[in-house]
Amino acid sequence: MFPVIACLLIPGFELRVALRSRPRLAVVPAALAPEPGREPLLGPVTAAAEAAGVTAGMRLGEALATCPELVLVDPDPAGAEREWEGVLRRLEDAGFGVEPVEPGVVVFETRGVERLYGGVEAALTKALASVGPAWDPRAGAGQRRFVALAAASVARPGQAVIVEGEEERTFLEPLPLSLLPLEEERYAELEGLGVRTLGALAALPGGAVAERLGLEGKRAWSLARGGERRRVRGRSPAAELVEALSFPEAVANELTLRRAFGALLDRLLARPERAGRPFRKLGLSARLVGGGSWRRTVTLREATGERGRIRSALGPKLVEIPSPVVELRLEAVELAEHAGQQLALVAPEGEEADLRLREGLRQVRASAGGSAVGAVVEVAPWSRIPETRALVVPRDV
Amino acid sequence: MVSARGTAARLNAPRPALVETNVGGEPRLVNRELVTVVREEWRVVDRWWTEEPVDRRYFEVVLESGRNVCVYRDGERACWFTQRA
Repeated sequence: MFPVIACLLIPGFELRVALRSRPRLAVVPAALAPEPGREPLLGPVTAAAEAAGVTAGMRLGEALATCPELVLVDPDPAGAEREWEGVLRRLEDAGFGVEPVEPGVVVFETRGVERLYGGVEAALTKALASVGPAWDPRAGAGQRRFVALAAASVARPGQAVIVEGEEERTFLEPLPLSLLPLEEERYAELEGLGVRTLGALAALPGGAVAERLGLEGKRAWSLARGGERRRVRGRSPAAELVEALSFPEAVANELTLRRAFGALLDRLLARPERAGRPFRKLGLSARLVGGGSWRRTVTLREATGERGRIRSALGPKLVEIPSPVVELRLEAVELAEHAGQQLALVAPEGEEADLRLREGLRQVRASAGGSAVGAVVEVAPWSRIPETRALVVPRDV
Repeated sequence: MVSARGTAARLNAPRPALVETNVGGEPRLVNRELVTVVREEWRVVDRWWTEEPVDRRYFEVVLESGRNVCVYRDGERACWFTQRA
């Protein structure tokens, strides 16, 4: 028998994270602002905004024309990533092997823990409890991913909806097309054809749908019929290596950010938990002066622990930061398993002096404390104000 | 010098100084030590467009002991500091 696949859903997760520092906005028409440089489409919206006719994915201009009092909330992708990681870890702590789909949506199988908790329903109740009521999570379960997602979408906060195999078709039939990952024009096109529910779409011949709507339409048609059966692959546990640097005042110039990034990279490379393993995926995030944040994740083409290669992969991302930075964070999202390293036949010049210097610094740290060793990083050597020319950055040896 | 782990600290931050001046506003005593020569004087006016404007009158002086010291009068806060310029 195919295992039960569960989906846990937190609608508007990124908006909820952004509103945590401004909870009073949760009761007024508010929406997650588009990220700088992206298409001006709204993110998730509050219930009050929805009541005023504003929907997620709406064009910014249209939304402001519909509801002039709409408040735009700056996205906090770094905060969302952190909170989402917390949610996933709580689920993992409860015994679920999770496969995150996007922030706010995660799928997992219940088979491994059904006996532990006493059945599918009890396992879902446990999953909802482990995430906590503050996030208003909902759960759904079925034998296919899309069915589980659809079930979670219709569930109320804190509720779990389970769809048995034979009920799948009747369950999906009356649900709206908005559950499908389609572009706005496609919905309009389908509505124009009189197709308003998943059941109506599923009843059409697959070939005709593909001919009219292309590959995207074919995929939607397949989902409307329940989608493919695919097992869940639990993620590998995330690495917990993070280095952060807070600035005494907000920094906007690229040179300073590059130097701070270099210092963070040195510290991350020096972390003993890495045990010589190269980085596979790194995350660079910044807390911005207005209260928002920025985050980019880079998967390296080849896992590496070489400073120069990591710098050239992540360094260019720094110019994308939209406003002055209060804190810069570098995170090892995933490490490679192997630690192998080709030894050099002849040691590079200066290696011995470097080793002695490092040993000396280790001794200083051991005798005077962890924060005794710092590196001077020039940040604005041209400044007429002496104390803004350089920073002392804590350094691991 | 280095603050809490993970926080960058400023290098060469100014330190409060006890300065007595003559009628022209030049330092006569720095931290209770007599000034023998004022070697140089300059002004730094910057960031006037921010909420933390900088208005400093710097003096590089030689003290009675032979030490070279830089002091400045902060025009915004009306007090004196020493700093390596």
